[in-house]
Amino acid sequence: MSNTLLEVKRLKKHFAINNGLFKDKSYVKAVDNVSFSVMKGETFGIVGESGCGKSTTGRTILRLNELTSGEVLFDGQDISTLSYEDMRKARRKLQMVFQDPYASLNPKKTIRQILTEPLRVHGLFTKKEREEKAAEIIEIVGLHVSHLDRYPHEFSGGQRQRIGIARAVILQPDLIIADEPVSALDVSIQSQVINLLLRLQMDFNLTYIFISHDLGVVKHITDRVAVMYLGRIVELAKTEDLYDQPMHPYTQALLSAEPIRHPDQKRDRIILKGDVPSPVSPPSGCTFHTRCVSCMEICKTEIPLLEIMEDGRSVACHLYNKM
Amino acid sequence: MKEGIQLSTLKPLLEIRNLDVSFRTQDSSLRIVHGLNLTLAQGETIGIVGESGSGKSVTSLAIMGLLPKPTGFISNGEILLDGRKISDLKEKEMRELRGNDISMIFQEPMTSLNPVFTIGDQLSEPLKRHKKMSRKERRTRIIDMLRTLGISRPEKIIDEYPHQLSGGMRQRIMISLAMLGEPKLLIADEPTTALDVTIQAQILDLIRTINKQKNTSVMLITHDLGVVAEICDKVAVMYAGEIVEYTDVRTLFDKPLHPYTQGLIASMPNMNERKGELYSIAGNVPRPTDLPKGCHFSTRCMYAMDCCHEEAPPTTSNGCHSVRCWLHVDQPEGHSVEIEEEKNVQYAVRS
Ligand SMILES: Nc1ncnc2c1ncn2[C@@H]1O[C@H](COP(=O)(O)OP(=O)(O)OP(=O)(O)O)[C@@H](O)[C@H]1O
Ligand SMILES: Nc1ncnc2c1ncn2[C@@H]1O[C@H](COP(=O)(O)OP(=O)(O)OP(=O)(O)O)[C@@H](O)[C@H]1O
Ligand code: SF4
Ligand SMILES: [Mg+2]
Ligand SMILES: [Mg+2]
Repeated sequence: MSNTLLEVKRLKKHFAINNGLFKDKSYVKAVDNVSFSVMKGETFGIVGESGCGKSTTGRTILRLNELTSGEVLFDGQDISTLSYEDMRKARRKLQMVFQDPYASLNPKKTIRQILTEPLRVHGLFTKKEREEKAAEIIEIVGLHVSHLDRYPHEFSGGQRQRIGIARAVILQPDLIIADEPVSALDVSIQSQVINLLLRLQMDFNLTYIFISHDLGVVKHITDRVAVMYLGRIVELAKTEDLYDQPMHPYTQALLSAEPIRHPDQKRDRIILKGDVPSPVSPPSGCTFHTRCVSCMEICKTEIPLLEIMEDGRSVACHLYNKM
Repeated sequence: MKEGIQLSTLKPLLEIRNLDVSFRTQDSSLRIVHGLNLTLAQGETIGIVGESGSGKSVTSLAIMGLLPKPTGFISNGEILLDGRKISDLKEKEMRELRGNDISMIFQEPMTSLNPVFTIGDQLSEPLKRHKKMSRKERRTRIIDMLRTLGISRPEKIIDEYPHQLSGGMRQRIMISLAMLGEPKLLIADEPTTALDVTIQAQILDLIRTINKQKNTSVMLITHDLGVVAEICDKVAVMYAGEIVEYTDVRTLFDKPLHPYTQGLIASMPNMNERKGELYSIAGNVPRPTDLPKGCHFSTRCMYAMDCCHEEAPPTTSNGCHSVRCWLHVDQPEGHSVEIEEEKNVQYAVRS
């Protein structure tokens, strides 16, 4: 019944890095063969540790980086092959909210300019109507019309993030990719912004891709979650299922590492050894095998595929390989 | 975790009494930290929680004698270590203390290691300064420490440079650096904030082990209540430069008294129904330049009464739980305020 808004197929983004004049180029496989689809109206989470490719996935979908290979179908249309101009037009429906509320707003522009610009660029409405829209949206995100003539530096982090969200929502997009939208904010401000995102989703029928390394926030806000490790999705499931019963050994370790909520809560922790390997020379086979407590021989040589289980969840791990 | 810590029964290692820290501005000075009282016994762990800008790092710098000179200074109160006043020591005496009795792990592991020296060079410093050891003994000692802290290939890492290591490894190097001097007190300022949860779990585990095995007292600064629940015996909640609540960890989670602490705990996503509206504290943290008259939290507090906007609440305490809020003062009238304030000072001196 639910219909697909976005379909990402075998997406790859490899960055070339130079090793100096005489050496060969090597590649960071930031996103390596990632496939998933996002349903209309849902919140799709992407979690994983720093450097696993969450932001690159988001940016590549929006073609803020060019993709290495793969397809991105938005409302059935392949946007990975659109011309620059057509892609610019398509972005009206696909917006992004960034992590850093300080860096993502132009310091020289007033809030009014920041909010009306996307409408102007897309040639929408008359000047007067655009101003009305700005006045309307600023109130919706919990600020005041009198704020419109101020500059970004006059606002706190949480207020700036509200402005960033207003700028994305003013175009009435279908999909918003929110990359760590609350990570830079204080705890008491985080909950205000999360509430805003939840409310806007209801009011404007938005679909979100919510990127975060904060497992608590992701659990609260998402419907389904993809867990990434070294550029690949290792597990994808409904949020409740994933948190109740993680299947991939990495997901299990990740969830168990979350700080406890109360001093009396007992810790049943899987402490992972070592650090995440370099994405330039990822381990052979299952890229998690160097840190996995259940590692078998096959894991060292063969890449496990993301297999769909009977209950609709997907796991990329030889432990669950149907032979 | 020790059971039902009485805030005043153990012999104190660190005592902070009525501490004010100020920064000089062009024509006057601005008070950033105000009226801080706390004590830490040998082997205890205390968490300092609070939002960005609440004065956590400034407090730790004051203890370490590392306030930026000449702008930052202690404008009132004192700090004692093992009964000895350390808040007015000469720079030379303070240097003696640092790395010996007190060590600190800073918020930014990247910026606090020197990029041009090897790990071994940097880790030799605390050993050179305080202990008579041969070069070879030092090397062995460092390798042992690195191994204890879960660094694989320590014989190799010792000759590498900071940029060759990951963030988690650098943070472990910082902990090695802090621990080599065998300090009585370890101050860790957001030691895991820049790290991933799986690495955070490793580092917290490590700090817990050090505390247990060496009986090192730990002051852990964080904005994450979960981290506090993990390893602290007691906790001080800071808001806009003041400690607003101070008690043992269980009491804080079970019976928070200050409206700010209550709000913080209630807004943890895990405390709320999934997809539902999160409890949230309205408004923003005031800047130190425009603190409200009266209670610093009064602009955001859902219980604020007239007196809250007029006058700063005193800290009241029952000996193991103290709170700075008018709701917990019996008679919010003029005269009793002074008495309460006096009691508070005595409490600090006694403990
Ligand atoms: N422009 C670039 N050039 C080269 N490498 C890059 C570039 N952008 C990202 N990378 C690399 O790609 C990998 C994935 O990075 P990405 O920013 O997507 O991670 P992330 O999951 O968003 O991490 P974080 O949680 O730290 O934001 C990393 O190894 C990163 O260093
Ligand atoms: N060198 C300085 N000169 C002037 N003001 C300063 C200086 N250092 C800190 N401050 C001010 O002191 C206040 C407290 O800062 P502090 O660094 O202690 O906050 P914090 O609680 O550690 O915050 P965070 O969680 O962001 O690390 C802030 O308002 C800050 O602007
Ligand atoms: S003193 Fe008043 S304003 Fe301050 S926290 Fe207590 S009730 Fe709220
Ligand atoms: Mg990112
Ligand atoms: Mg700090």
